[in-house]
Amino acid sequence: MLCNECGKNDATVHVTHIINGKKTENHLCEDCAKKNQSLFNSSFSMENLFSAMLNNAFSGATYLPSKGCSTCGMTYDQFRNVGKFGCSDCIETFKPKLMPVIKNIQGYEIHQGKIPNRAGGDYKVQKEIEKLRNELKQMIDQEEYEKAAEIRDQIRDMESNM
Amino acid sequence: MDKEKEIVMTSRIRLARNLNNYKFPTKMTNEEAISIISDTNNALNGDSSNLNYKLTYMKDLSDVEKNVLIERHLISPALSENKEKGAFLLSPDKDTSIMINEEDHIRIQTLGYGMCLDECWDKANELDDVLEENLNFAFDRELGYITSCPTNIGTGMRASVMLHLPALSITNQIDKLMYAVSQLGVAVRGVYGEGTKSMGHLYQISNQGTLGASELKLIDKITQIVVQIIEKEKNTRALLKKNNKEELEDEIYRAYGLLTNARSMSTDEAMKLISFVKLGKEIGIIEKVQNKDLYDLMIKAQPNNILSIANGELSVKERDIKRAELIRNELAD
Repeated sequence: MLCNECGKNDATVHVTHIINGKKTENHLCEDCAKKNQSLFNSSFSMENLFSAMLNNAFSGATYLPSKGCSTCGMTYDQFRNVGKFGCSDCIETFKPKLMPVIKNIQGYEIHQGKIPNRAGGDYKVQKEIEKLRNELKQMIDQEEYEKAAEIRDQIRDMESNM
Repeated sequence: MDKEKEIVMTSRIRLARNLNNYKFPTKMTNEEAISIISDTNNALNGDSSNLNYKLTYMKDLSDVEKNVLIERHLISPALSENKEKGAFLLSPDKDTSIMINEEDHIRIQTLGYGMCLDECWDKANELDDVLEENLNFAFDRELGYITSCPTNIGTGMRASVMLHLPALSITNQIDKLMYAVSQLGVAVRGVYGEGTKSMGHLYQISNQGTLGASELKLIDKITQIVVQIIEKEKNTRALLKKNNKEELEDEIYRAYGLLTNARSMSTDEAMKLISFVKLGKEIGIIEKVQNKDLYDLMIKAQPNNILSIANGELSVKERDIKRAELIRNELAD
């Protein structure tokens, strides 16, 4: 493909802009790309991309409290501009609209990692029991009844301590 | 010190944490910022602790001092800009830092040399436990650790590995590599320099997503990808040595000649030349530098490090002269 600026050299740089759903494509050779730096100047930081996604997600007519977060005062307008939460309660405030966006950027919507002792509390134990139950099932499937019995006792202990 | 490694320079783990009882950095006041700094410092360096982390406030550092810390990846540019509210805690071995009031209240960063994400995670995880004994972290059952930006939510963890990939770079395979790994939810970027352009053929590989997988699974994914990249780099090195031996030797010895003789040198040039000599050292082309830490030399050649050694203001020209002098001395027998 030839550069669509000079029409002489092979195009090696391909830029696609999507603005308000309208797609424009630029195919440039290296020299012309250098001359057209402004094409790339939109900064591709995660925040900017995220903020753009938020703008799309919020553009539909969906109800969100106009007062915003009761703890820090962050409104969803502000949030979608800066792409950052104002405090830990913002999550609850914006959750209904936020989940699809999070799913979109992260690909997932449920945390599978570390659970803090303090903030996690019983939840941490619950998660561990859940994990043990899966192991128990596996052990039974593999007919490892002695190990299964150990895990069963462990689960009982944990449940009685909750 | 034997910190210089082949191909994998460093491994890093970063954990983002926030406190429940304070507004996040976009909304917090100066007073809140100050109490967050003292809460975090007390949680880590309390009476029963012997960790001895050193607390430094951004407002007490000069621009050069801050930039040296950035060049060494101990703090981020964002923290250095936060003159009023930013601070950081640094471990005695200078391999672990905790940034306070950057984008999140707390960012734990651990560093190791070579491929050691597991050890870095263990260290970060331990520090996280120590801090949590005294601090209330913002946590949501569904979404995990709550971070300022939703792109870090969940584990709040960024695992990254810095790779030296001269053979893949000079054979123009980096773009392909970047494209391939981006399909797997992993990001590649140049370490020094902007975007895909990299000084010294150094690249950083890190996880993009932070939610939906455990920390160990995220680390495992990066590790598997890095193992494959290392193999590609090694194969390409072997091919270059087999098929382009004269050109390669010429390039490497020219680089060595310039580094040991030039009287003025820009950062860009120094990084490129040191990278070639490092390659030569590792594929057995150049013997003279076997006992030199060339990764360390790359860091020493960074502009603000030169400024901090000179201990005064330097023009760009004077700095390039100083850099050439430093490199000549470091590489002298």
